[in-house]
Amino acid sequence: MTVVRDRVTTRIASPPMRRRLSPLLVVVAGAAIVVALTYTLPPFRTYQLATVGAYLCVTAGLTVLTGLNGQLSLGHGALMATGAYTLALWQNKFNLLAVGIVVAVLVTTAVGAVIGLAAARLRGPYLAGLTLAVAVVVPSITSTFDETFNSDQGLSVILNPPPESLTVEQWQAWLCWGAALVTVFVLALLTRGRFGRDMRAVRDDETAARLAGISIARTQVAAFVVSAACAGLGGALFAVMAQSVSPGAFPLTLSLFLLMAIVIGGLGRLSGALIGAVLLVALPAVAHEIGEAAGSQRLEGNLALTFFGVVLVVVMLAAPGGLASLRPFKKKGHR
Amino acid sequence: MSTEPPDDTDQGLALHHITVRFGGLLALDDVSLQVAPGRVVGIIGPNGAGKTTLFNVICGFVGPQSGSLTLDGKPFRPRPHHLTRRGIARTLQGVGQFGGMTVLENVLVGARSRKAEADAWAALERCGVAEHARALPGSLPYAKRKRVELARALASKPRILMLDEPAGGLDTEEIRWLAELIQGAQTTVLLVEHHMELVMSVCDEILVLDFGKPIALGTPGEIRTNEKVAEAYLGAAA
Repeated sequence: MTVVRDRVTTRIASPPMRRRLSPLLVVVAGAAIVVALTYTLPPFRTYQLATVGAYLCVTAGLTVLTGLNGQLSLGHGALMATGAYTLALWQNKFNLLAVGIVVAVLVTTAVGAVIGLAAARLRGPYLAGLTLAVAVVVPSITSTFDETFNSDQGLSVILNPPPESLTVEQWQAWLCWGAALVTVFVLALLTRGRFGRDMRAVRDDETAARLAGISIARTQVAAFVVSAACAGLGGALFAVMAQSVSPGAFPLTLSLFLLMAIVIGGLGRLSGALIGAVLLVALPAVAHEIGEAAGSQRLEGNLALTFFGVVLVVVMLAAPGGLASLRPFKKKGHR
Repeated sequence: MSTEPPDDTDQGLALHHITVRFGGLLALDDVSLQVAPGRVVGIIGPNGAGKTTLFNVICGFVGPQSGSLTLDGKPFRPRPHHLTRRGIARTLQGVGQFGGMTVLENVLVGARSRKAEADAWAALERCGVAEHARALPGSLPYAKRKRVELARALASKPRILMLDEPAGGLDTEEIRWLAELIQGAQTTVLLVEHHMELVMSVCDEILVLDFGKPIALGTPGEIRTNEKVAEAYLGAAA
């Protein structure tokens, strides 16, 4: 059989085969770049770099769910909140950050599994409606159980000081990007194998996928669980960076921003998730500067959403596959 | 014509008195069929006769109101995503494909053994589309896309291959290739098809349905001369 495959591989040399980068190579290179940047960027830019890392955890998981599996989620902000609050509660009781992050991921995974079970029975606008409800309901839980979550004031997060050799921003960037690179590595391996193929098959044609032996519900729940775990990790990292959590940090607009970011970046591509994460930090920052220049705080609040909307329209017109699909010398019909 | 309940002790797939209603429409009316291992069985009939419904019952997409199925003499309650595990693969009318995946990935989805990649390449070779392995199905001509779907079904190494109008939209040359593939499949084949020349040339046995009712079961020669079949296809005046 190997002979057959080699023969065939030789014969198909003519179509341009997209060379995929090794995930390990990407992670190692990414780590080196991040470390170098943390020693060259000023503290505020290093903080922004850390924020990109935290967002990347979330966007990478969301692009797998929406781009590869075709499930639309408008509730990932709520899953981030779940991770953030879990970490805050853990830290305030035990102050063991590494374990706290793992617990935050596990709790969010469990919440994601419950939502995923319901989501697997819904399609299109009904699924969007369910996740939208989650985005609206979860922050309000903090008011209902205000003794635990301290209502709108939220919780502070107890953290040990960073190692003496690092500044706070460097430590945050290393932590966030360490988590982000592990997330990307794991997702790259997952999506390249059978699980990735199954998710895309379910997205493209459920009937054909079932006939090929794929359990639609199991695949969809698994995709939601993986994505929820990533959102929980991202939420926990945001709690670490802000050293506090409050419902105001996870509004409905955050979920919309996350979705827009992965669409602009390129649905279903981890490189698109990275672009989306950068946009999530860069566009509000630009809006902030313009708002400040105009001297209007109200304008600043709305500009970020406007920017995302405009960028979304422009990118969809110029590159329907998102910014990550823009490849020089790419031939149509092959991938 | 023999549409009596099949003998349970026989190997292979058997349908016993299958009846399916969609509201007031009787889609299948007391259909029984024995598909012995290695046989090529055709299911024909005018449009709306219930051919695809019969396939959907075997695949578990449609549950019969009455009747049962057996596989190798044991009760068989089909579920679509368990079919490949039971050695059954089916192609769909048209081309049910995964448009966002390459041809190789499409076929790999169907190959679920430990040697999935080897099975996929073998199926691609067998269907003559290995050279398009890295292409997207949408970039291929219709006939090639049909071959890709067939390759995905074959990649699971089925013992029962269900083909739902595989010749639809194909030219004479492609149909000849398809006939050769079916004859050399070395597996049980259930074939729903309108192309009579193909059905008559490859099938060992043919079941004819009309308005959900089995009206004939026999060899191609018997079916060709059956008056009820001619009447169903051409009308009472025939």
